[in-house]
Amino acid sequence: MDSCVGVEQDLDKAIMKFNNLNDHTSRAIQDLIDQVEDLRKELSKQPANTPLSPEQAMAVTDVAGSVRQGVFQMSTEHRELHATVSRVGKSIDRHFIADYASVAPKAETFCNDTNRPIMEQAIAQHLYRQGLEDVGDSFVSEAKITGVERTCTFALLQRCAAALAEGEPAAALHWAERRAHELHNSPLPFTLHRMQALKLARSQGVVAAIEYARRQFPSHAARHERALQAAVCALAWCTPAAGPAPPHYQHLLDPKALGAEAAELFIKEACALLRLAPLSPLAGAVLAGCRVLPALHDIRAKMTHPHVIAAWSDDELPFEVDLGEDGGGYHSVFACPILRQQASEQNPPMRLLCGHVISRDALNKLAMGAKLKCPYCPMEQSPTEARQIYFS
Amino acid sequence: MNELKSLEHATLKVPYEIFNKRYRNAQRVLDVEARQVGTTTHELENVARKEPVTTGEIDKLLGGMVERLKAMKRKASEAITEEVQTAYVCKKRLDHLKEQATALSEPSTPQVKFYPQTAVNQWRKVRLDRMLVEYFLRNGYYECANKLAAARGLKDLTNVDIYSVAAEVETELYSQRTSRCLQWCADNKSKLRKLNSNMEFKIRIQEFIELVRQDKRLEAVRYAKKHFSTYEEDQLEDIQHCMGMLAFPKDTEVEPYRALLAPARWAGLVAQFRAEHSRLLHPARVAALPVALQLGLAALNTPQCYSAGTKVSACPACAAPLNALAVGLPHAHVSHSRLVCRISRAPLNEHNQPMVLPNGQVYGEKALKEMMKEHGSIICPKTKEVFCMKRVEKVYVM
Repeated sequence: MDSCVGVEQDLDKAIMKFNNLNDHTSRAIQDLIDQVEDLRKELSKQPANTPLSPEQAMAVTDVAGSVRQGVFQMSTEHRELHATVSRVGKSIDRHFIADYASVAPKAETFCNDTNRPIMEQAIAQHLYRQGLEDVGDSFVSEAKITGVERTCTFALLQRCAAALAEGEPAAALHWAERRAHELHNSPLPFTLHRMQALKLARSQGVVAAIEYARRQFPSHAARHERALQAAVCALAWCTPAAGPAPPHYQHLLDPKALGAEAAELFIKEACALLRLAPLSPLAGAVLAGCRVLPALHDIRAKMTHPHVIAAWSDDELPFEVDLGEDGGGYHSVFACPILRQQASEQNPPMRLLCGHVISRDALNKLAMGAKLKCPYCPMEQSPTEARQIYFS
Repeated sequence: MNELKSLEHATLKVPYEIFNKRYRNAQRVLDVEARQVGTTTHELENVARKEPVTTGEIDKLLGGMVERLKAMKRKASEAITEEVQTAYVCKKRLDHLKEQATALSEPSTPQVKFYPQTAVNQWRKVRLDRMLVEYFLRNGYYECANKLAAARGLKDLTNVDIYSVAAEVETELYSQRTSRCLQWCADNKSKLRKLNSNMEFKIRIQEFIELVRQDKRLEAVRYAKKHFSTYEEDQLEDIQHCMGMLAFPKDTEVEPYRALLAPARWAGLVAQFRAEHSRLLHPARVAALPVALQLGLAALNTPQCYSAGTKVSACPACAAPLNALAVGLPHAHVSHSRLVCRISRAPLNEHNQPMVLPNGQVYGEKALKEMMKEHGSIICPKTKEVFCMKRVEKVYVM
């Protein structure tokens, strides 16, 4: 946010100055034109073949001088804005990091001849998945990609969601009705019906909405009592004469916000039902990457030595990234609490008799002959009693 | 440090560069116009001062000056309006970036609990689309860049307009015409020099080659005199090759003349132009998409992504085609265990205890209980062995 505000200040200043300059320049030139025209009028009072009197000659030179001065003044004024313009550029450079690729020294390998087709396959897959067949087709032909499936179950969902985001719940309602028995635990049907009711209130009037609500809402009353009450109350502000709604109903009365929220819920629920990933592989990976980048920049800023580059040659990222609730966590990862290290095939997780889990290397280190004391509880046992377990 | 700061430099810098260019352009227009008005005023002064003249003649000169001033007014306002327009493009993008910042910082009130998250997700979707458009543009997939930008309404947030010039130059080069490219080189002369670009020189060589191909060898020599005489140090060898070519027939098998005469050189010119064009606009060597993709794959990468038994369908690094890219990347660093139930995909924690079956496989308590309810016994999804609930034990992961 700070970085945006920083640039915005400079940019606003520049825009203001240019707008002023634009007005000022036109006005100044118009003044000069008027001055010249006045002089012409003055002169044209005499017949065209009278010689110029010295006073008139004086006036002409004066005007010529002031015109010359005026126009050069204008170009100077414009030139003076150079500092303002370049300040915007410097501000951008200062507030944003110019080269995001500096922390990904291997990124160019994704653009070489072996990897590029793979990446572009993933892009094409993503486009088709988003229901953008048209874009996908031209991408496939422009980038000469082969082996990407054009149809995708996800595209249908995406189209329903896109319609939802536009404020049109019909397609999604149809989809949900056909799977009503699988969705009985989900908030999706009620959300869609609510949206439809509020849409009816806008398009056909509150009466139609109430009728619709009477038909559809009762079956959801038990699970969504509060939300149902709020939705029906919100109808009060759907009449044309109603004033501005109180803040906690505004959300319900904003079709765009409601649509976006419903679309997201729809994708989430539908994907859970069909056991699909809500994000395409490309989107998931890019999302994670965008979260890693700032952290990498941070670490690079802290280290004077180019360790990041060295760290890349290792087989691990140099730090742990929190990918957020929705950004990662696809696999179980067991890290040994003793060695603070990810388990591997050579060093698998072992469950002690008491139930605590440590890695095999840690177990071997802690074992004293045939005796082992659990590092977390007082229980003593033999190392041979520990069993290997599998998280994946 | 945040995602905006580390990723969005080019989003603002590219339109800023255009703004800067327009500014220089406007300055040039104003200077030229001012100079021209200046000459007319001098003329007027001279005439008025020197000889006895009639008012009619003066009136004519004054009329000419008014025309000049009017022209200047029109041109100046056009040029400045153009500048302001590009500044507004910057502003629009800045506003878009601010949307994300406000959505993240907004305190979530209970009524609109989901809304900020939805807004952030929406914004991220737009970001991916922007990245895709940028990637397409930088790799010359102009048609689908335009289509995607149009489909998602991203015309102002992406550089499709700026790249339309590049698309034109490329089509010209593909059809073996050089004038647009030379024009582009002239337009960006100072910047290209700063980047040590030899684009113009390469195009000149190509024009020379074309003359040789048409057997207009004398003309080629004349052309060389005109354009190659002001060569820079490292260009001497290329020039020597060119001149050597004059001695060979156009279907020669002798290298390097055969390579110079090959039509494939045009495709090379297109590639070079594309690279120089994006180097001119973007400070980063590669588009943001491959960078984010690579880092993301590295962050998601686990050793389990590579054996059929442990793959997870939702994991981006597990599935083809990205799997093939992830294989060479580092793994995420993990110092704290992060467990998910393989049945329900829910995280394993104190609310959903990890439980071990007698065969050593670990699953979540909730999913196992549900399975118990449904089937009356527990079937390990991996090995298909059947167990009763009594033999399932707790696992404590610190």
